[in-house]
Amino acid sequence: MEPTVFSVSDYLDLVNDTLKMIPSTQTLVEGEVSDFRIAQQKWVSFDLKDEKEQAVLKCFMTTWQLKVQIESGMRVQVKGFPKIYERFGTFKMNVQEVAPVGEGALQRAYVLLKKKLEDEGLFDVSRKRPLMRFPEKIGIITSRDAAAFGDFVRILNNRWGGVKVDHAHVHVQGRMAVKEIVEAFEYFNSLSSDEQPDALVLTRGGGGLEDLHAFNDESVARAIYASKIPVVCAVGHERDESLADFVADVRASTPSNAAELIVPSRTDVAYELETMARHMEERIRDSLSRRGHIVERATNLVSFVLERQKERFKFVYERFEIATADWIPQIRSELEGLGRVLRQVDPKRVLARGYSIVTVDGAVLTDSSKLEVGAGIGVQLASGSFEAEVKRLNGKGQQKLV
Amino acid sequence: MTAKKKAVNFTDAFKELEEITEWFDSEENLDLDKGLKQFERGLELAGALKKKLGEVENKVEEIKKKFDA
Repeated sequence: MEPTVFSVSDYLDLVNDTLKMIPSTQTLVEGEVSDFRIAQQKWVSFDLKDEKEQAVLKCFMTTWQLKVQIESGMRVQVKGFPKIYERFGTFKMNVQEVAPVGEGALQRAYVLLKKKLEDEGLFDVSRKRPLMRFPEKIGIITSRDAAAFGDFVRILNNRWGGVKVDHAHVHVQGRMAVKEIVEAFEYFNSLSSDEQPDALVLTRGGGGLEDLHAFNDESVARAIYASKIPVVCAVGHERDESLADFVADVRASTPSNAAELIVPSRTDVAYELETMARHMEERIRDSLSRRGHIVERATNLVSFVLERQKERFKFVYERFEIATADWIPQIRSELEGLGRVLRQVDPKRVLARGYSIVTVDGAVLTDSSKLEVGAGIGVQLASGSFEAEVKRLNGKGQQKLV
Repeated sequence: MTAKKKAVNFTDAFKELEEITEWFDSEENLDLDKGLKQFERGLELAGALKKKLGEVENKVEEIKKKFDA
């Protein structure tokens, strides 16, 4: 059988086609990272080695694909497609995913990513937003099967009521966790401002670094950072920490604690309401009683002044009485004397003796020259009066016929 | 939306009550007329808020959207 002749490129195509027969999506290669480099902040290259055998797999990927922080010396598993690059004739693994293996490597990756995010300012205290004191709507991102979910809702119901809780069911561990959590954050943030929850809670129970990987994932951390809605993060127990905790606006120690932080307790608020109502009432009472005092004082003052005036008047009056006691009888006898004199010159007494008063037009007549014959005169007697006509004046006029 | 507006907004009502309480403190010589009006409003708010405290249920609903695409 004649050998087949290939050109180099055709041959390399054949090799690459053959390499595609490897079930790459189902294959992980585990080894130790060495010579880790990033070029132009874009291209990642490293060698994957076995510790014992002398075996090297050249690996290549982009920084976007690199979801965890790795460094030389770290034990990792890579998934990717092997390929020979025609231009350089080099064999490389085109890495799609890389994940640290073992607690040591995971811990190291965690520390590296934490430092990177911290340097970028994702944990800055200044960007942390306060929670609304009385939220009306809460979004919770967790698994419906997690004990954390039950704990949260139970404590929420114990403390507060009337809140609408929208639950985004996601896996909190496993392959899908990161993607689902990020999508849940995107979902809540894409809602119109009317429909957006007042706060988001991201929670799950405790676990090892491997269980918590989604909560230590860079894209989850960035989703929390990008959220317009304040985020409360509660992972596991008190001692567990995650990168999600550091980025979140509020860090709760446990799912129950998240509920405590997100809603107030009825008892506290009822007490506060009572205190405020009592305080207002006290202030009103104070004000009323202060006014009452003022009125009372004014009343006292007025009656005191009146009392003094009365005293003074009494005193003055008494003195007046004492001072005048002597002259009243004196004045009285003087008056009586004057009265006597007056009585003596009273014209009526003269009339009583037979005199009369003649008046003309109301004026007393003392001189007959003012009269004319025929004029009307009034005559006042001691008792009664009459009117008369002048017939003769000083012997002149009509003669009286005798 | 209208239903939401009708219901007492706890945050707003609580804030108003706090402001009224603070007003009582800030007035050296309380204007009694205004004070009584404020007091009345305060009691009204406190009553409404207390009533809201009586709400026991939180409404938990799972979002229909699936996040595992």
